[in-house]
Amino acid sequence: MTSARQATLIARKDLLIEVRGRHALGTLVPFAATVLVAFGFAFGPGREVLERVAPGLLWMAVLFSAVMASRRAYQTESEDGALEGLLLAPIDKAAVFLGKAVAVTVELLALVIVVLLLVMVLFDLSVADPFLVLAAFVLGAIGLAAVGSLFGVVAESSRTREAIFPMLVLPLVAPVLIAGVRATDLAAAGRSGEVWSWLGLLAAFDVVFLSVGVLVFGYLLED
Amino acid sequence: MRTLPRSPIGLKDAAVDLRGVTRLFGAAPALVRVDLAIERGEAVVLRGPNGAGKSTLLRIVATALSPTYGGGSVLGFDLAEDREQIRRRSELLTHRTRLYEELTARENLELIADLLGIAHDRVQEALERVAIADVADERVRTFSAGMRQKVAVARAIVRDPELLLLDEPTTGLDAAARGAVDEMMLRASRDGRTLVIATHHDVTPGLAARVVTLRDGSVEASS
Repeated sequence: MTSARQATLIARKDLLIEVRGRHALGTLVPFAATVLVAFGFAFGPGREVLERVAPGLLWMAVLFSAVMASRRAYQTESEDGALEGLLLAPIDKAAVFLGKAVAVTVELLALVIVVLLLVMVLFDLSVADPFLVLAAFVLGAIGLAAVGSLFGVVAESSRTREAIFPMLVLPLVAPVLIAGVRATDLAAAGRSGEVWSWLGLLAAFDVVFLSVGVLVFGYLLED
Repeated sequence: MRTLPRSPIGLKDAAVDLRGVTRLFGAAPALVRVDLAIERGEAVVLRGPNGAGKSTLLRIVATALSPTYGGGSVLGFDLAEDREQIRRRSELLTHRTRLYEELTARENLELIADLLGIAHDRVQEALERVAIADVADERVRTFSAGMRQKVAVARAIVRDPELLLLDEPTTGLDAAARGAVDEMMLRASRDGRTLVIATHHDVTPGLAARVVTLRDGSVEASS
């Protein structure tokens, strides 16, 4: 059994639980929609202001959704001691990390599609280069999922996990937020040539945190 | 962690060979210098009042916890160095069933089977042995505590480990569910598996078991 196959099985399991339980997306989509509508009202109907703030709003919604989705991914493991089951299963622990990161990434991308459509409809905004916007969200979602999956297991060992998890994750993902907002802003405005350096930063962040996760997740899972 | 020299007993074929195992939780000792040898194929019942250290002992043997001091071997593998080898050959069954509620009983078992490269035929056989084949495609969240424990027992049957560690496996179960656990233990014992059972209840009828009594984290008696 290869690690890739084990990671696929873990991701499939997490997504199946999510699809059936609709725990994360059932909360995330209304949450993201509420944020967007609330800010839309706050900034008023002026198209120029909305165009300027839309990338930031989108990424704020994705960031907080990533925190919630990552927590949820570990709540299902802790409900009946399943995380200990994964610890004691003779499988590659890096595969558990990668499987969880893949599942959270897929959930976030599903959310991104819904939220992007919401923004375009609610704010009547157009995107000049949708491919680059999508690339920014894919790379950003991978980074957010990697950090969330890594620190989710750290927070799981604490009694105050609900408070500790955002405190651990939010400062670390600041580069994703900054690079994601800039890349989305530039791609939406059609300044494609300037987007690549921000996409590079997002890709570097992904490589770093996926590598760290693969290397240390097993140690974090142990007592 | 301090590793003690090899035991003078020299139990080359011991299933469990603990030497000077101490486990602290903070400053509180749960186990104090425990020496315990269990031969392969032997059935041992751990007795003792609440807080005597029975669960901690089982979790250390299962490698879910590390000893603070001391060490030993399980199935010939070092507790500190060969955790994955021990995990490959042992199963810890507790009142926490480690099941995923949104998956069906069959899906829970097939997940383990797939992760460990076990044929699905064994899943069906296990479901039939614990008499839950007729509800195998229902989600676990609809199951009673007894039904969940039967699924956990089925998981142990699927894995067919050399060493079965059972922590209060029948607590809160009705007669039918207790019967499934008893049958699994008897069959495993007949097949030469090693069993270590922590329980306050009567020993399974027909199971010739040595009784080890723990008190305040130490072995008080063995008979």
